[in-house]
Amino acid sequence: MPERVNYWGIPHDWGAPELYVYTIMFGAALIMLYRFYLRASLWWKVGRPEARWDKLHIRIWKLIQYAIVQTKVLNQRYPGVMHVAIAWAYFIFFLGTALTTIHERFFKFLFGNVLFAYKFVLDVFTIIFLVGVGMAIYRRYSQKPKRLTLDPGFTFSLVMITVIVLGGLLTESFRLAVEQPAWAWSSPAGWIVAQLWIATGASDAVLTNWHLVAWIFHLLTVAGTIIALPVGTLLHVLTGPLNAFFAKLDRPTGELAPIPLTPDGDQIYASKLSDLSWKQLLDGDACTECGRCQDACPAHAAGTPLNPKELILSVRDALRADAAAVMGGNGDAPDLVGEKIAEEVLWSCTTCGACVEACPVLVEHVDTIVDMRRHLVIEGAVDAELQTALSNLGRYGNSFGKSDRMRARWAKGVDPKVKDAGREQVEYLWFVGDYASYSPTLTGITLKTADVFQKADLDFGILYKGENHSGNDVRRVGEEGLFEMLVEKNLKALSRSKFETIVTTDPHSYNTLKHEYPANGNGEWKVMHYSELLDQMIASGQIKFSKKLGYKVTYHDPCYLGRYNGVYDAPRRVIEATGCEIVEMPRNREDGFCCGAGGGRIWMEEGEIEERPSESRINEAVALDGVDAFVVACPKDVTMYADAVKTTGQEEKIIVKDLIELVHEAM
Amino acid sequence: MTHIMVPVKLVPDLVEELEIADSGTALDMTWLRLIINEFDDHAIEQAILLKERSGGEVTVIAPDQEGMDDVLFTAAAKGADRIIKLIGDFEEGTNNHALARAFADAAKDAGPDLILTGVQGNDDLDGSVGPYLAEYLGMTYVGYVAGLSLEGDKAIVQKEYPGGLIAEMEVSLPAVLGIQAAEEPPRYVAVSKVRQMMKEASIDEVDAGDLDTSGGLEVSSMYLPEAAERAEMLEGDEEEIAAKLVEIFKEIGVM
Repeated sequence: MPERVNYWGIPHDWGAPELYVYTIMFGAALIMLYRFYLRASLWWKVGRPEARWDKLHIRIWKLIQYAIVQTKVLNQRYPGVMHVAIAWAYFIFFLGTALTTIHERFFKFLFGNVLFAYKFVLDVFTIIFLVGVGMAIYRRYSQKPKRLTLDPGFTFSLVMITVIVLGGLLTESFRLAVEQPAWAWSSPAGWIVAQLWIATGASDAVLTNWHLVAWIFHLLTVAGTIIALPVGTLLHVLTGPLNAFFAKLDRPTGELAPIPLTPDGDQIYASKLSDLSWKQLLDGDACTECGRCQDACPAHAAGTPLNPKELILSVRDALRADAAAVMGGNGDAPDLVGEKIAEEVLWSCTTCGACVEACPVLVEHVDTIVDMRRHLVIEGAVDAELQTALSNLGRYGNSFGKSDRMRARWAKGVDPKVKDAGREQVEYLWFVGDYASYSPTLTGITLKTADVFQKADLDFGILYKGENHSGNDVRRVGEEGLFEMLVEKNLKALSRSKFETIVTTDPHSYNTLKHEYPANGNGEWKVMHYSELLDQMIASGQIKFSKKLGYKVTYHDPCYLGRYNGVYDAPRRVIEATGCEIVEMPRNREDGFCCGAGGGRIWMEEGEIEERPSESRINEAVALDGVDAFVVACPKDVTMYADAVKTTGQEEKIIVKDLIELVHEAM
Repeated sequence: MTHIMVPVKLVPDLVEELEIADSGTALDMTWLRLIINEFDDHAIEQAILLKERSGGEVTVIAPDQEGMDDVLFTAAAKGADRIIKLIGDFEEGTNNHALARAFADAAKDAGPDLILTGVQGNDDLDGSVGPYLAEYLGMTYVGYVAGLSLEGDKAIVQKEYPGGLIAEMEVSLPAVLGIQAAEEPPRYVAVSKVRQMMKEASIDEVDAGDLDTSGGLEVSSMYLPEAAERAEMLEGDEEEIAAKLVEIFKEIGVM
């Protein structure tokens, strides 16, 4: 029965070959680890502490999911297949090498069929690897998508990993050419190459010598690549899995961390490298420069100065350039914000989370951006429009700069009168939100919402002037103090009211009420988006429809409802229940494209842009076949898209409808 | 070191609908919300800008009105070194003569080199504070100032005139300047900074004594503008319009 021969063809008069192999490989590994330590230690030497060691079982699962199986990498077909072909092949090669060591030193098991299977799997992955490399070459040197960094460092890595595999293949093929065993079929790739050497008619001695050359070459290229790993683009092999392991677990995506504190209790506003946490610095080193975030970013697509990939790489480059100065404590390290990352870059973000969703190694762009915005706000570096909005929010509790007494003006004519949840008990507290309350163009929709609720006999009330802006986007602007003030005011009004569930039409309010408001003394409230409530009332028969609308519509996922809170199906079920057919836009659900208003962008000066995200979205919708309506489930979306339909001149082709308008019409 | 004093006051916030009190001679204070006089806010900003540029000390002084503490702490967060609240019978509103006298008394004690205050306010029924203050202190007054720099014991001020004209003049200190606009719009102060000031800074309270409102005017009646169609548009060239105007003035007996 065949058994694996260790160190076949290596002259034994050199001494034990394993001695060379272990010396070289352990030496390379030590150098690699030391160089990696030099690099990685900057994270905690420069960055501030942050606890990311809890829930180890979930962290290990994340590592398996994102670094081994690579589910996020696989979200995009071509680059996904390309990458896993290479990565999985290397996992198998690594495992294969480990198994031979076990076989050699501890437990002999590579005989007969096990050996054939072992050889076969390794050879098949050699072929898979070469397919992956072919795809990478085509992508990098022919397709050249804009989002890729076309840097020689990547070419070096690609060459090295290919040379290693080809070296292994050559070694195997020379051995097969000499041995020509009956089971050569179990190494299909090696056997094919071996035919070449057999065809040359070279003697066994010559081929054995060539085998030796190939073997040494293979050994040295592996060692060289390992040594170079921590300073090249292959670093992500280590940092990617680490980043997945240390991913944010303590809070949902929709919850931002409060401003970090120094040991003395002073607030830390992120303006310098050392203000970022070690994990935020690790984000920079984990970035693979794949550019998926860049492709997904609405601010980048609009032509603003923000490119999420460049932003994260700015952090990385700053760490490389300035770590020594920071650690030397001589204070001449340049600021991150202002010097390495322009203010306009930070203000361009809509906090839509598309970059975070797209990132295969779980980089947390938005949290870092908000941290840096907090610094800008505390310095008073806000544009005039944003300043007006923030001042209004501080003074009147709304961004419109209108009296708080006017908040429920829209409800004046509603009959029967909408209950005041501060005075009488209700089942549902309707948190109306700023736009639905104050924007004159939205009054009709707000009234229809009230009408639907009343027709469905929903026991609901509102807070009247007790309601303040929820603060979701105030927090994302970076005005944490104002956010806290708004939360306090709303909590005061909420704690005075008796209700079971909060319902809101505004995904932004929904997000912060659900994730960022501490539950009050009456226990936790449930927070629902109106799409969820409508869905529930339709299912229970509380809402009955009298007609089928028969429109062909498309649905836009609001970022804070979809990506942030995973509510994708409820609004779609509601639309279908009204008898409309949904045609999906190419960018839907997790890949939904932001309207451009989030993260406080709606309050800021627009700056120079090429195409508004909302216009890009409308153009996407009108390209669909025969769609009459663009359905939204967010008051700001109504405003944003109604404008975009006008500015793109598509009034003839499509109209913007709020979900409630469909429900109202079908009732 | 230049000591800059900035007297400020709160005025009715026009975001709210104004209502006339039962007396028929004043605004109904129960429905009134007060906000810092916009021009005073510019005066604070200008003072802070001067301090940042050429050093000095800034004192912001204000009458005790509802919500004034927030305004003073905000001023401190912007960089004011001292914040003073005048204690007296200000709640029900007073006139600018009395206010200017109270500011003047405080200024005599503090001895500022320069006083910056808003050039006007929306509740100035008896003239604006600045000129009275200058009169009571015997200082020079220049109004409609939109920028200045300090040179020793002189200030070089830019005074705005209608039609976009700007005059630059030299003023000997001490002086009172009525600020039309600061060189830069008033800055934003993060809420947490103001809250921190509330913990760290303290407001000095100064007794304003009995308020002397003499010299002011007495309101006999206050009412909201009535909607009516009484406007007549005069058409023609300048000569014709002037001629028509004269005719109308004669008709109604004012000429």
